[in-house]
Amino acid sequence: MSQSESPGGIFGLSYDGETRVFEALKLVSTAIIVLVGAWPIYWITQLAFTEYETVEDDVVTVFPTPDIFTFGNFTVLTDPEMYTYMFNTVVVAIGTIVTVVLVSLIAGYGLARLDFPQKENFARILLIGYLFSPIVIGIPLYQIWQSIGLLGTRFGLIIALSAISMPFAVWLMWKYIMTIPAAHEEAAWVDGASRWRGFRDVVVPQCRPAIIAAALFAFALAWNDFTFAQILLPQTDTTTFAPGILRAMGQTQFLPDAYLMAISLAMTLPPLLFAYFMQSYLLKGFQVRAL
Amino acid sequence: MPDIEIRNLTKVYEESGNRIVAVDDVDLTIKDGEFVTLVGPSGCGKTTTLRCVAGLNKPTSGTITFGDRDVTQKPVQERNIALLFQDIALYPHMSVQENMAYGLKIAGFSREERMARVEEAAELLQITDQLQKMPADLSGGQQQRVALGRSLVRDPEIFLFDEPMSDLDAKLKAELRPVIEKVTDEIGCPTLYVTHDQEEAMTMSDRVAVINDGELAQVAPPKEVYDEPASQFVSQFIGQPSTQFFEGNVGAVNGTAELDVGGYEYNLARDGLEGWAGEDVRVGLRPQYIRVSDDPEAGIPATHLLDEPLGDATHSFFDTEFGEIVVVTDPDFDGDGKEYSLVFDDEYIQLFDDDSGVRIA
Repeated sequence: MSQSESPGGIFGLSYDGETRVFEALKLVSTAIIVLVGAWPIYWITQLAFTEYETVEDDVVTVFPTPDIFTFGNFTVLTDPEMYTYMFNTVVVAIGTIVTVVLVSLIAGYGLARLDFPQKENFARILLIGYLFSPIVIGIPLYQIWQSIGLLGTRFGLIIALSAISMPFAVWLMWKYIMTIPAAHEEAAWVDGASRWRGFRDVVVPQCRPAIIAAALFAFALAWNDFTFAQILLPQTDTTTFAPGILRAMGQTQFLPDAYLMAISLAMTLPPLLFAYFMQSYLLKGFQVRAL
Repeated sequence: MPDIEIRNLTKVYEESGNRIVAVDDVDLTIKDGEFVTLVGPSGCGKTTTLRCVAGLNKPTSGTITFGDRDVTQKPVQERNIALLFQDIALYPHMSVQENMAYGLKIAGFSREERMARVEEAAELLQITDQLQKMPADLSGGQQQRVALGRSLVRDPEIFLFDEPMSDLDAKLKAELRPVIEKVTDEIGCPTLYVTHDQEEAMTMSDRVAVINDGELAQVAPPKEVYDEPASQFVSQFIGQPSTQFFEGNVGAVNGTAELDVGGYEYNLARDGLEGWAGEDVRVGLRPQYIRVSDDPEAGIPATHLLDEPLGDATHSFFDTEFGEIVVVTDPDFDGDGKEYSLVFDDEYIQLFDDDSGVRIA
């Protein structure tokens, strides 16, 4: 195959050798991703469909064969407590998405189109805010929320989660709106549109990829949030899924592993589907240069 | 429809302590139905002037009136203008029809009225079969037609163009020029057209306003700007290939004026040269009025450099004591790098002040 055996590639390998090494490394990295990423999902899925007595029996099963297959584990979803957790998670996620998208659109527009002193520094400081981990802001927030009555409310959690999603979302929106030619808006003004109307009719529709990317980011953060929910929703019966399930596991009340797997699977599916169907938009949203 | 009156328009940009005068005391009146082109090199302030008229930029000083309406402080939305942008700026997420109807929608026209007006405009612009398409599916020329249609349906008081054809190729430009003229005639309002392309300026305008460094250099009908440029800048900027310049000296002025260029004497039957006797002047001549003589003794000595045959004429480049000179020669001319001389057709010689560049004669 090869016309020349002289080493030419990196590490002094021939081009053919280099290709083989590359293919091999690709396989290895794929295997690692499958192992740490896909294996747990497989494990959750197969256990969720296996009868809970079997799972409790310390017998390792790798596939729910017909004799142990069941949908029964999912009845746990109708448990009022679990139902509350899921409902709270959904409300908090939607609330966070709406807040993040609205605020980041307006803030991003302001950064992209208006001139104000210290604009660049403002944006930089915004990004620094992203570097604080939830646990660092969580404890002061607990005290503030307690004194202004937001502690234990979904609204309080939505604000906290929006705040940590916001730096990225605003940055993304800022850079994305900057790629939309100013002439589009000016054309709308010439057509008689007010600044607000031009923003609504011309800028926002063109921001769809960035809106979806920001929404997905906010959703993933809110849906998977543990720290803030644990701190800001201290009552066990009004918390969200992640801390809720942990507390349920620690309770003396009997909750079989298979049930835990079923509810975990149910809560893993929405983000998975969301990401899958939005991936083309997501890529477009993240494709902004100089992000 | 009102006239546009621009009085003492000045626009100064302050950028990190630097004061940049983009437009310097510009006075210009565009009468109802008149097509005025603002032409100049890039960075000369022509687009800033237009944006001030449009209301997209605020002038530092000066006034802009449409008829008896002072619009200097009015925002763009209240000026009832149409503006065609350099990058066309159709709304990419709306169909052609929605693009054209958007202004009417904001103005609160009924759906039927909107569609009727869009149909009418589309017919005039021959884009009826494109109405349902998205802007991205159209060619550049078609997009600019849609942009014209978007302005046309609103029946604006003022029509402004900001280099609308600079991204199109030469053939499309030639095709769109009559369309633009048709549309502006149809509306019959004052039109200000900004371009750096002097061919567009010459072909479409009633009057051409040449602007340089933020100041108007000359405002006159195209033919006059070409034949009687007011300054060296105008002479050089308008016309392709551009005017060639030489150093000269005015000799005795006695009814006719003697002009010495590179040791060769021309007798000019011109007025206004009294007082210039003995002065150095700049001599301008359009390349088609320079003759190439085979006899190297007949005029300014010139070494042939290269030919650019265009089919109907040839542009020949010569090296002379005044630098590189372009001459329009016969289509069959073949210089072959030999020695020639350049002879002037003295009727067309333009004289300029050596320092200020102002036309003398």
